[in-house]
Amino acid sequence: MASATDSRYGQKESSDQNFDYMFKILIIGNSSVGKTSFLFRYADDSFTPAFVSTVGIDFKVKTIYRNDKRIKLQIWDTAGQERYRTITTAYYRGAMGFILMYDITNEESFNAVQDWSTQIKTYSWDNAQVLLVGNKCDMEDERVVSSEKGRQLAEHLGFEFFEASAKDNINVKQTFERLVDIICEKMSESLDTADPAVTGAKQGPQLTDQQAPPHQDCAC
Amino acid sequence: MACEFNLNFLKELEREAVLEVLYRDQMVRKTEEERIRKMKQQLQQLRWKGAKNARHEYQERSCARCQKSLGLLVNRGAVCNGCSHRVCSECRVCLNPCLWKCTICYAHGDVKVKAGEWFFEERAKKYPVYLFICWHNTLIVTLFNKSVENLFLSLTTHIKKISKSQNDMADRCVLTTDYGKNVERRKQRRSQSDTAINVTSRVSILLYTVSSCKSCFRGSLYSLSSTCTESGNFGKANITGEIEFALKYNFRACILEICIKACKNLAYGEEKRKKCNPYVKVYLLPDKSPWSKRKTAVKKSTVDPEFDETLKYKIEHSQLRSRQLQISVWHAGALKYRVFLGEVVIPLAAWNFEEDSMQFDWYPLKPKVIPSFCASLYLKSKMWRKLAPFSGNKDQGVLNCQLQVMIFGAKNLPMLRSAGMVNSFVKGCLILPGQAEVKQKSPVLKKEACPQWKHLFVFDGVTPAQLQQSCLHLTVWHKSIFSSSDQFLGGAKLGAKDQGCQWKFSEKPFVSMVIFMGQSHAKTSTEIVCSNSHRALHIFKDLFL
Repeated sequence: MASATDSRYGQKESSDQNFDYMFKILIIGNSSVGKTSFLFRYADDSFTPAFVSTVGIDFKVKTIYRNDKRIKLQIWDTAGQERYRTITTAYYRGAMGFILMYDITNEESFNAVQDWSTQIKTYSWDNAQVLLVGNKCDMEDERVVSSEKGRQLAEHLGFEFFEASAKDNINVKQTFERLVDIICEKMSESLDTADPAVTGAKQGPQLTDQQAPPHQDCAC
Repeated sequence: MACEFNLNFLKELEREAVLEVLYRDQMVRKTEEERIRKMKQQLQQLRWKGAKNARHEYQERSCARCQKSLGLLVNRGAVCNGCSHRVCSECRVCLNPCLWKCTICYAHGDVKVKAGEWFFEERAKKYPVYLFICWHNTLIVTLFNKSVENLFLSLTTHIKKISKSQNDMADRCVLTTDYGKNVERRKQRRSQSDTAINVTSRVSILLYTVSSCKSCFRGSLYSLSSTCTESGNFGKANITGEIEFALKYNFRACILEICIKACKNLAYGEEKRKKCNPYVKVYLLPDKSPWSKRKTAVKKSTVDPEFDETLKYKIEHSQLRSRQLQISVWHAGALKYRVFLGEVVIPLAAWNFEEDSMQFDWYPLKPKVIPSFCASLYLKSKMWRKLAPFSGNKDQGVLNCQLQVMIFGAKNLPMLRSAGMVNSFVKGCLILPGQAEVKQKSPVLKKEACPQWKHLFVFDGVTPAQLQQSCLHLTVWHKSIFSSSDQFLGGAKLGAKDQGCQWKFSEKPFVSMVIFMGQSHAKTSTEIVCSNSHRALHIFKDLFL
């Protein structure tokens, strides 16, 4: 489905209330796999090759238009370094979806995926949606983790899988959009089970003329 | 599950960076809260519209939403799946050809989705008892005292609204409380059973003050919603109605403009005589000085006044971040008698000033909430090492270490009804490993609501290593003149990891702290709000100095 980000947002985004849903997404993975670059590519469409280690946590806000809904994403970028672990794990609870990232040129980061997934299981809710992303797929020459291996691991863990490159802007947007989609799916699922009548959320209900007034009208 | 978390292990710069992120996050949260509040309010208004009340008579068969009478054969209406009320064909929303809901059930579901409640509910399956406040919410909310007010504000208004309106939806009520690190399950359970109110949504509140052991959770809530104890004396009306205004910021001239348009449906300032002469007063908080005050003209004998006035402040845009706009409506009675008719407080940090045109909006007036629950103590502490004359001797070195705690003062101490103003003093008790106690007292300051002791506690002969193992109880007391026993006003416990609040001290410079004190004697819920980072100090100044 076509997705368009609205360029008018930008700076105003954090204070903008004109959206339907707000999703919180967490990017995790070993240090230097490219989490921050990935986020910057997605949120600002920028890339810097220099490596600056993230201090603790950071986030960016981006509003996207998807499935006829404006969705505000608060994307948390976490520090991969062990010493910040207490801070980063504190954010697992609030996240609806995760991007678990490894570096295809770094075996160790791939081996750590299992541990990261355990972290998610420990600290997050049961329905946490996770995408496994092998970053730096532009560096084919230095690849040490094959696509196949990545795919198998993802299958084993029950995650969806993407190979991406923040540098060459490959699959970055797709990753986030897929994650948003599966969170949406999860959402309507949980609503279905809770209350069979509230399926309207996703189907785009036909409203009668007595419909609830639009939400932006009321202030305060 | 309160994340045992502190930023102490970080370096100064790191801490600042993290605080910066937390601050930004706080802004995002505020916006989100605001959005959800708007949605819920809309829903509430929709409910009110359809609410039956005792004053009117209704036909036996009428639509539960629009009160239109229903026929027996034609236009009979049908029963909504969600709420089991009979509604007419116009008050329905079709979800698919064979499924519909009444407007309220639909709006309710919609709000639930948009507010992300599905997520909280799903997550609650994993963490059933505990509430959904991330640790840093605790931290940051404490940092930004004001937002706690907002939380409470929304909670209290929420409860009020709901108790007034018809409860036609039996919603799961989850009213949760957080006692910071001292989660008291018993109280939590109690708070859940205590709420006979159908809270339409998950309301997470953060309680700073554990109300004293005698009064239950409920009592503390009521006392919060009824606090109207600003030093000036004024009358209270039942708060109703709304105010319409727009905000504009002139970037070139650095002027904040508040265009007050009108109010509607105000309460009567003098209910019996049906009199109301309303005017609007604005403060740019935290500044409550006369320089920060702006007023409109007084409109005579109306509850729907039209003001059409623009109030202006010259202020840098960067400064707006830390400000809140307090817009209150008052009744001007004879002989300077004033009656508070409601207020709106807008945190300007989250306000979007970039629009070209002004947007007028209606804002419901709210009762005053005074953060009496946030008693705070501010102090500095440091470890001081005297120059040991016999530096070779180890024991001598130990004796020459001292802990200095400078108590500046306290704010928002609870008012004692009998005494009015408090005669307060601070007790400091350092409990060393091995249960040895060193006690100190500050002098008593008489009749001061915000006492400033500026008193230095010196604890001699404590080593930094010992200090890691010990904890310091700081308690504030009211000195009774007649009765023998002093009254407890609040207290805080600073100490090593598992003993309450982590406590910061450094060798040379004083570390500033603001501490929110619990008011229960046995359990003190304490949060150290600031330590020595710039951001924190900034907040420290903003809030308390």
